[in-house]
Amino acid sequence: MKKKSSLYMDYSMLIVVVLLLCFGLIMVYSASSYEASIKFNDSTYYLRSQLRATVLGIAVMILVSRLDYHIWKKLAVVAYLGAAFLIMLVITPLGMEINGARRWINVGVSLQPAEAAKLAVIVFCAAKICVIQKSLRKLKGIIIWMGPGIVLAGMIYVITKNMSSAIILLGITAIMIFVASPRYLPYVIVTLLVVGGVFGVIYVVSHGLVPESLSTFRIGRIKAWLNPEADASGKGYQTLQALYSIGSGGVLGKGLGQSTQKLGYVPEAQNDMIFSIICEELGLIGALAVIVMFTILIWRFLIVANTAPDLFGSLLVVGVMAHISLQVVLNIAVVTNTIPNTGVTLPFISFGGTSIVFLMTEIGIALNVSRAKPSQVQIY
Amino acid sequence: MVLFAFVLAAFVLLFYRLYKINEQNGDAYKRQVLSQQQATSKTLPYRRGDIVDRKGSRLAYSEKVYNLVIDSKQMHEDDDEHYELTLKALEDYFPELDIDSVREYSTKHPSSRYRVVLKKLDYNKKDEFEKIMDTSVSMNNADGETVSVKPSGVWFEEDYKRKYPYNSLGCDVVGFVLGNNTGFYGLEQYYNDTLNGINGREYGYMNDDAVMEDAIQEAQDGNTIVTTLDTNIQSIAEKHIKLFYEKYNNAYREGLAAKNVGVIIMNPNNGEIYAMAGYPVFDLNDPEKFDPLELAEYVGSSTSENSISANALMIEKAENGEEQPNPEANTDSGTVSGDTVSGNAENKMDPITKAKNQIWRNFCISDAFEPGSVMKPFTVAGAIDAGKITGEETYDCPGYLTVGGHAIHCHNRLGDGMLTVQQGLAKSCNVVLMNIAFAMGKEDWLRYNRTFNFGLKTNIDLYGEANAAELTFDESMGQTDLAVASFGQGFNVTMIQMAAGFSALINGGYYYRPHVVSRIENSKGAVVQEVESKPVKQVISESTSQKMRDMLRTVVMSDPSECTGWSARPAGYTEGGKTGTAETYPRGNGNYIVSFMGYIPADNPQVVCYVVIDRPNAQYQSESTRMATVLNKDIMTEVLPYLNIFPTEELTEDEAAELQEKQGEFFIGSDGVSTNSVSEDVADGTSASEDAIVINPTESTVSYDSAGNVVSENKISYDPETGYPLDPATGEVLDPNTLQPINGNSSFMSDVN
Repeated sequence: MKKKSSLYMDYSMLIVVVLLLCFGLIMVYSASSYEASIKFNDSTYYLRSQLRATVLGIAVMILVSRLDYHIWKKLAVVAYLGAAFLIMLVITPLGMEINGARRWINVGVSLQPAEAAKLAVIVFCAAKICVIQKSLRKLKGIIIWMGPGIVLAGMIYVITKNMSSAIILLGITAIMIFVASPRYLPYVIVTLLVVGGVFGVIYVVSHGLVPESLSTFRIGRIKAWLNPEADASGKGYQTLQALYSIGSGGVLGKGLGQSTQKLGYVPEAQNDMIFSIICEELGLIGALAVIVMFTILIWRFLIVANTAPDLFGSLLVVGVMAHISLQVVLNIAVVTNTIPNTGVTLPFISFGGTSIVFLMTEIGIALNVSRAKPSQVQIY
Repeated sequence: MVLFAFVLAAFVLLFYRLYKINEQNGDAYKRQVLSQQQATSKTLPYRRGDIVDRKGSRLAYSEKVYNLVIDSKQMHEDDDEHYELTLKALEDYFPELDIDSVREYSTKHPSSRYRVVLKKLDYNKKDEFEKIMDTSVSMNNADGETVSVKPSGVWFEEDYKRKYPYNSLGCDVVGFVLGNNTGFYGLEQYYNDTLNGINGREYGYMNDDAVMEDAIQEAQDGNTIVTTLDTNIQSIAEKHIKLFYEKYNNAYREGLAAKNVGVIIMNPNNGEIYAMAGYPVFDLNDPEKFDPLELAEYVGSSTSENSISANALMIEKAENGEEQPNPEANTDSGTVSGDTVSGNAENKMDPITKAKNQIWRNFCISDAFEPGSVMKPFTVAGAIDAGKITGEETYDCPGYLTVGGHAIHCHNRLGDGMLTVQQGLAKSCNVVLMNIAFAMGKEDWLRYNRTFNFGLKTNIDLYGEANAAELTFDESMGQTDLAVASFGQGFNVTMIQMAAGFSALINGGYYYRPHVVSRIENSKGAVVQEVESKPVKQVISESTSQKMRDMLRTVVMSDPSECTGWSARPAGYTEGGKTGTAETYPRGNGNYIVSFMGYIPADNPQVVCYVVIDRPNAQYQSESTRMATVLNKDIMTEVLPYLNIFPTEELTEDEAAELQEKQGEFFIGSDGVSTNSVSEDVADGTSASEDAIVINPTESTVSYDSAGNVVSENKISYDPETGYPLDPATGEVLDPNTLQPINGNSSFMSDVN
């Protein structure tokens, strides 16, 4: 078999990622300049922070894309334990509280362990599944090997109260096992159970059947989701403001930089809610462009995963694909109030240094897999 | 592949969701977004458009001014020293400001961020006060330390104030603005929506360069209207009206020189109004300010016989902040004959309000009156155009004609004998005209009456044109009606109807809608709308019009003993026209409206001037027609050179001398403002030429006519209307045969038994 040129990698993927990063920088500046000028008296505060992370992320990506991905097989256990360790650090004095949520640790720079955990789970699952693929033919094996993901997700949920990251971790694990497993039935059953459960919860909440004693933060969010106008100044505020942004943008939008909702109305405008500002400024057209970019990116992941030289490489890319797909879908779903509000960032676009660096690491891995010589690997 | 399909499906669903949000709630959310901005937004006022004259001089414009706003919250943000310092600065710099009320308000509403306490300050005041705001003052604080503090919590917001640089010039035509850019009367009201723009909004925030960032919906400034008015012609007309009043006030009886004087100067070939003036004038910059004596004059008269249209009540309502006046509401109450129109509306008004409205209204379009002999050319033109007479007929005038049991007299009760149609016009013979009307018949007379637009509004683009529908005759008119209608009695017209109709009569037969606005421009100067000067209809044929010009020329250009209008002619020009002397209702009271309608040059009319004097202050008002002709002459003498219409006739020595004299007096200053000032000696300087009217008995003995056309043998002068001699001692009109005084108060109609 002819060896590929060492210069080859999936340039389509690279270009899409770079475009998304540039677009992200522009939108972060647009969405954050007002808040930054008020809070820090410097409209470029968020932009510069994001720019530093982006530059670092690109450097990391180049480095990782040159690193043979098989090395991650050896690092899998270390990465998994390391992520768990980082999560534990949050409850130590190293932990940082931002906006009332204790999710960060301060190691010179602020770092969100949940983002590291996502990478760790991808690497760990890929490595383990290569070893135990045969056991996934049985339901018992599937359930057992969900374990590592569940543990890490549990830690994140309990320690950092970050449900969205926990859900994404579980999602990544489930998807990676799913593609490695020839069985569909357990997934269909689980999916039906989850959907049934969700509708059950919705029914219970929407009919006011929840006892007062059980009314928690989550229940409140579900109520706000079902009827954001009912609590427009409270729990439904962020959702409603995001909807106002989307609705007021129209087809063509108000024009780049012309959002009025970012002027202190949409909380986290540069962060979780950046997609609503995109809709307001660039309209449905802009939103469609973003969605198409992500579609291309995910499609490239699929191609790379299908042509990877071995199962491990393929699974790594599937993990990355699962991660990014989940975040994009969940983010847009939250912004459009399709699901209850939970803090998920839009990959490459939302403000967040840790997220950018780890995402770029994942892209580096995927690019490295794309450089390896192709062969057919059986994934489902 | 399955995974990718799921993701793709999710994307499609989410995009569909985005689309639905936009489709279902897009508008509502857009409104929501705008409404929640209000906390941090402010209104950007639009600028009301200018009103400019035909040469571009601004008759009205809006100037940026500043409202003083206090921000209680900010005032209280620092310590009490700050607060007191701010109040003291306000008190020192704005003596007109009631500082106690500011203190009370800011104490009672400490969280208020916006309250306008002073309005319409000019830029200098704002600038100076802002400097004070910026100056630190050292003072001791509560702890005895010396600190430097600045006033705070006061800022200025932009607004606009309407300005009329020519003050009272063209006040009736321009109209004024009250309150929140609401126009009243004239162009300001008629074009209110055109002149007004749309307020903008600013959703502002300061970026780090202290520059207002984005989200500005600019105000849309109003359109400018370019009028056909000419500031200079308007000021010439107003100046001469003013001179007229100064001269004849208290001339015969205590009181004003006339109840009203109206002058319209227009271009007969396209309907453009050059000037439209009435009396009295008021300052558009302060329409509520009147000369108390003048107001008293109108208060006195308005209670008894003055006419008030419903517009008056509208204004009163608007001033009280009630509904916006609806122009249509006014239309059915056109003044009839300057006499009382009864109605509940004006009964509710106090006399002062009535008087104010009397002053504000535009006599030239809002008041209706019997036109008198100026109507005669219309009757003749109709008869010729209908083929009922050729214009070559002769009629015998015995001084009266008996119609339906009434003897309807001529001004010359003794009769003029055989007269041609032309002579009938030149001598203003009622009998000739009655005969012509009978030859025409009721149907044709009515048809031409309508054709010349009587009974219809001219639709001039000014607020408050009287509704003419009820003013003229309809099919029910009888023989006596037709007889008196032939010389302009028994029905009503407005000045603008007459001027527009007369223009058509002499310009070849083309009726143009009289108009004041020729062009509408947006705030950037681009033309939004051009008013085309196209004839609305042809009312008579070119040849009829030519015949009329030939006849009307003789009204002015004949020997003074042969015509009534000779004194209207400005030296050096040919002029055509017609005098009018109409008796008002009730008949027999000696009250007349005298008028003159003239056009120059006689063979190729370029300008029409219509002068109407309502009840001149004279012993014998019926003999005062010359007041109108002379006013016409004085105005035209100045206007013609300005319009680049040059003299064609040779001047006699007397004319040259008189012209020279007048040039010294009239042509003072080239701009409209300075010509409004009146030199005291003008009245005396021109009096020699007026004495033939014999208004003032003390001067009447030297009644030479300085126009020079009359050689006054035996020091007897002649009455311009009738050509009869005047008594040098008393100024009464004498019967040419008996030389006995004729009763000037006799009505044209008397019962014969």
